[in-house]
Amino acid sequence: MISLKNVSKYYDGKRRVVALEAVDLHIERGEMVSIVGPSGSGKSTLLNLIGGLDRPSTGEIRIDGQAVAALSDDDLTRLRRDKIGFIFQFFNLLPSLTCVENVALPLHLKGLPRKEIDKRARALLDLVQLAERFDHLPDELSGGERQRVAIARALAFSPPVLLADEPTGNLDTHTGAEILRLIHDLHERLHATILVVTHDATVAESCPRTVTLRDARIDGDVRR
Amino acid sequence: MILLRLISWPYVRKHLLRSVLTTAGIVLGVALLVGMQGANRSVLAAFNQTVDRIAGKAQLQVTAGESGFAEDVLERVQAVPQVRAAAPVIEASVETGLKGQGKLLILAVDMTGDRSLRDYDFENGDEDVIDDPLVFLAQPDSLIVTREFAGRNGLGAGSRVAFDTMEGPRQFTVRGVLKAGGMAAAFGGNLGIMDIYAAQKVFGRGRHFDRIDIGLAEGVSLEQGQAALEKALGPGFNVEPPSGRGRQFESLLGIYTTAMSISSLFALFVGVFIIYNSFAIAVTQRRAEIGILRALGATRGQIRTLFLGESAIAGLIGSAAGVALGLAFTRSLAGFTGQLMEAIFGVPQNTREILVDPRFLLVALVLGVATSMIAAFVPARNAARVEPVQALQKGKYQVLLAGENRTRRRAALLALALSLGCLALSRYRPLFYLGYLLTVTAALLLAPFLSLELARLLRGPLKWLRPIEGSLAADSLIQAPRRTSATVSALMLSLALAIAHGGVSLASVQSIQEWMAGTLNPDLFVSTSETLAARDFRFPAAMEGELEAVPGVADVQPVRTARVHLGGKPVMIVATELGRVYRHIHRTIIAGDAQTMDTLAPEGKGVVIGENLSVLQKLHLGEIIELPTPSGPLRLPIVGIIRDYSNQLGAVFLERSVYVRYFQDDTVDLFRVYVKRGAAGEEVRRQIVERLGGHRRLFVLSNREVRDYVTGVANQWLGLTYIQVLVALMVAILGIVNTLTVSISDRRRELGVLRAVGGLRAQIRGTVWMEAVAIGAIGLALGTATGAVFLYYEVQAIGKDIAGTPLAYQFPFGIVALLVPVILIAALISAVLPAETAVRSSLVEALEYE
Ligand SMILES: Nc1ncnc2c1ncn2[C@@H]1O[C@H](COP(=O)(O)OP(=O)(O)O)[C@@H](O)[C@H]1O
Ligand SMILES: [Mg+2]
Repeated sequence: MISLKNVSKYYDGKRRVVALEAVDLHIERGEMVSIVGPSGSGKSTLLNLIGGLDRPSTGEIRIDGQAVAALSDDDLTRLRRDKIGFIFQFFNLLPSLTCVENVALPLHLKGLPRKEIDKRARALLDLVQLAERFDHLPDELSGGERQRVAIARALAFSPPVLLADEPTGNLDTHTGAEILRLIHDLHERLHATILVVTHDATVAESCPRTVTLRDARIDGDVRR
Repeated sequence: MILLRLISWPYVRKHLLRSVLTTAGIVLGVALLVGMQGANRSVLAAFNQTVDRIAGKAQLQVTAGESGFAEDVLERVQAVPQVRAAAPVIEASVETGLKGQGKLLILAVDMTGDRSLRDYDFENGDEDVIDDPLVFLAQPDSLIVTREFAGRNGLGAGSRVAFDTMEGPRQFTVRGVLKAGGMAAAFGGNLGIMDIYAAQKVFGRGRHFDRIDIGLAEGVSLEQGQAALEKALGPGFNVEPPSGRGRQFESLLGIYTTAMSISSLFALFVGVFIIYNSFAIAVTQRRAEIGILRALGATRGQIRTLFLGESAIAGLIGSAAGVALGLAFTRSLAGFTGQLMEAIFGVPQNTREILVDPRFLLVALVLGVATSMIAAFVPARNAARVEPVQALQKGKYQVLLAGENRTRRRAALLALALSLGCLALSRYRPLFYLGYLLTVTAALLLAPFLSLELARLLRGPLKWLRPIEGSLAADSLIQAPRRTSATVSALMLSLALAIAHGGVSLASVQSIQEWMAGTLNPDLFVSTSETLAARDFRFPAAMEGELEAVPGVADVQPVRTARVHLGGKPVMIVATELGRVYRHIHRTIIAGDAQTMDTLAPEGKGVVIGENLSVLQKLHLGEIIELPTPSGPLRLPIVGIIRDYSNQLGAVFLERSVYVRYFQDDTVDLFRVYVKRGAAGEEVRRQIVERLGGHRRLFVLSNREVRDYVTGVANQWLGLTYIQVLVALMVAILGIVNTLTVSISDRRRELGVLRAVGGLRAQIRGTVWMEAVAIGAIGLALGTATGAVFLYYEVQAIGKDIAGTPLAYQFPFGIVALLVPVILIAALISAVLPAETAVRSSLVEALEYE
């Protein structure tokens, strides 16, 4: 499903920063993988590259058999829209839009018929158990609820790949556990390929496979 | 000042485009100011220099308006004991037909006496016949030119120069060349000297002089001389030093100067908004930085100084650039102004030298810097108020505080109520203008609130258009009203002014056209020049008969126009056979009745005056007006007031026979010719040229040509409207680019999310463009509404105080129809760069937590 060959990422500023160095990684369809490592080790960079938010400096990335490097900016965006769902640590909801509107964002961007969009957005909010919060603004929700909205948005097209960068990092332990349960639940029900970047050992250990990064390189790859 | 370098410079460098755009308002205003002032000054200086140079040692000049006077006045002047020397002069300009030379100003003098007032410094004397002025006099085709003119055209003694005279085309022989300097520098060197008695024939002056130049006897002061001459000649004559002509010209130029100055000051005023906007934005963007500086011990005063310093520098750079730009445009503006003066007032122009007053440049510079600092004052104060702790709270600061909003709204309502009160009392003119000012204030106070409401209103349609891009664009406006309000205000003001000017223009052109349709209805006009304004040449009275004898001609009406001083202003006397004219035209009578007018005026028992004259000089029906004439004051009652646009400062219609008697002038400027029913205008025109053209200088213009000419001149004045539209356009682009640049930086995260979850480039651009168009649309809506109100005030001001002819209130839908696409397209263009920045910026950075 996801394969990286010799992928590196450098940031060229006054000094060259190596964010990721010669990474080889292969993830099968339906796997659920946690990515751990110290701060600054390149976890977010890895996730961003897989999600097509950024392009590698060298190396090849394939998503669902498609080579990312060959895609134009807009094609990459379409790939993101249709095949990849993002869940961010800071939710990244648009504050001026209601929950339904936030969830409907990708659907609108694809230009689906409005009736269908509304139905689907409501179904997705139902799925994350937020049925009664349809028309609330993000400001009016708790952290956990916001993350649920973000998850519903990520699931808009039932993407085969879900990427979560520290999804529980900004939540208290209890809420974090709830969100983790939701992600596991989705994994089982939707059979999506899921990558979770985390600091939290319990989160990491709950996944069947854990990849460890250290100093921009893969330092361990454990399957349970 | 170290703060400026450490803190401000990096910020400016990072936002270079915006910094440049910010100062553009100042650049524009200062450039317009400097350009206009330089141009007007140069035109005026060229005029004064010409007057001064050809005046020679003359201390006083005797004139009688534009009508000139009979030769015998010279003897009366010479009889005054205080006069040492008196020299008659005819001054007129001619088209020489030499390529690219423009006009040649002819100074015609009596060589026998003139040297006592003017120095004629000729080149290589031995070759020139001029040494003996009598020889020169004996040959009426003699012409003296300047070294400069001769050099430019390869002329020398004996060369021939041809031009049309009142007696048909003539060849003149160069009999002398003036050395450079002195008199030869007059009119840009395009000066020709001729014998005055020859000139009387050449220009159709009959036995008249245009003026007499006076040198006073030893020990006689200017005042004494003036008094003695005035006493000897009576009130019909003007006795003034040569500089008086400059003042008259200045008063003509004044109307135009005022209009242009208003435009440039307005550009500066709009600059205030642009700069205010930029600084307000900078202050909010740099809050964290300000907080840190404050935490590190910077005082409020230092923070304020920092921002004021920045604005001073921006103002200085902008003004300097504006001065440079203004100087670059001065020459073409001077050319334009000169042309306008010539077209409207018939005063020949030749501005070769561009004069710039360094003191004025300094004033412009100071004005630019002051404008910039005034604009930055409030943002600087806000910056100084930032609390170190607050600085870290994001987002809140851009919300328009409800309390502030309410205060503004109350102040606006108060201003509005007061302005309505003023309107009710607008008989008292200062109150009327105070009301105008209050309305502008109210509009400015309400602009932020209204633009917020309009943005809310627009959200629906935008959302309907594009559910995501549209609602986000509207939300961006709703959530950060501070970001847009200054831009919208500036846009509103400049659009309102463009609309008000447009409305005034439209109404003026229309009323002028209506007037032309009623009064300018002869089939042909026989004039001494292509432009109806020039009055260098004059027809003899005898030509009336010659024209009447042309087959196909039904009626010929001689018209003589001459400006005289009335109430301190140059007012036009239009002398014609009123009875004949009134049979043909449709007048709009403002006061009086047609019957009285038609019996009294043609009998010379009264005058008819233009409405504008009656309004501007508060003259009423039945009042006696006193016209100065060479034969003494002419007192006649006003027997009618009609709508009239023939002269900006007003016209007096006088029966021709009375004019001839009092002004001892039977020459004619213009013949109005009606052709017989069934006769072809073209054929009659051909006949006139054929029969009279050989021995007369004349131009036959068709009705259409004359109307087009008048419309053209009117439109030239109205060109100012387009300058306003241009300013509005600049404001739109500057303001919107500025606002959008900030907006996309504020919306970075949002746009990042949009792209992350599948927003294509076109969709990201779309939302930025929609925001731009929304700003443009809000500006248009507010500008149109405000413009409708401004127009009311301008129409009133023009009708009652400026022009004196009432204008219809006519909303310029055409101008609005032009502005809508222009502003919306400008908004789109302004959005291109910011949108590209938004599309190309790093997604990862946008999504990172800041
Ligand atoms: N935009 C950037 N410019 C420069 N360096 C960056 C940028 N983004 C990340 N880095 C650097 O790359 C390295 C890896 O970052 P990241 O992937 O965010 O680490 P993690 O998520 O594991 O904490 C860090 O050293 C970080 O400073
Ligand atoms: Mg990270």
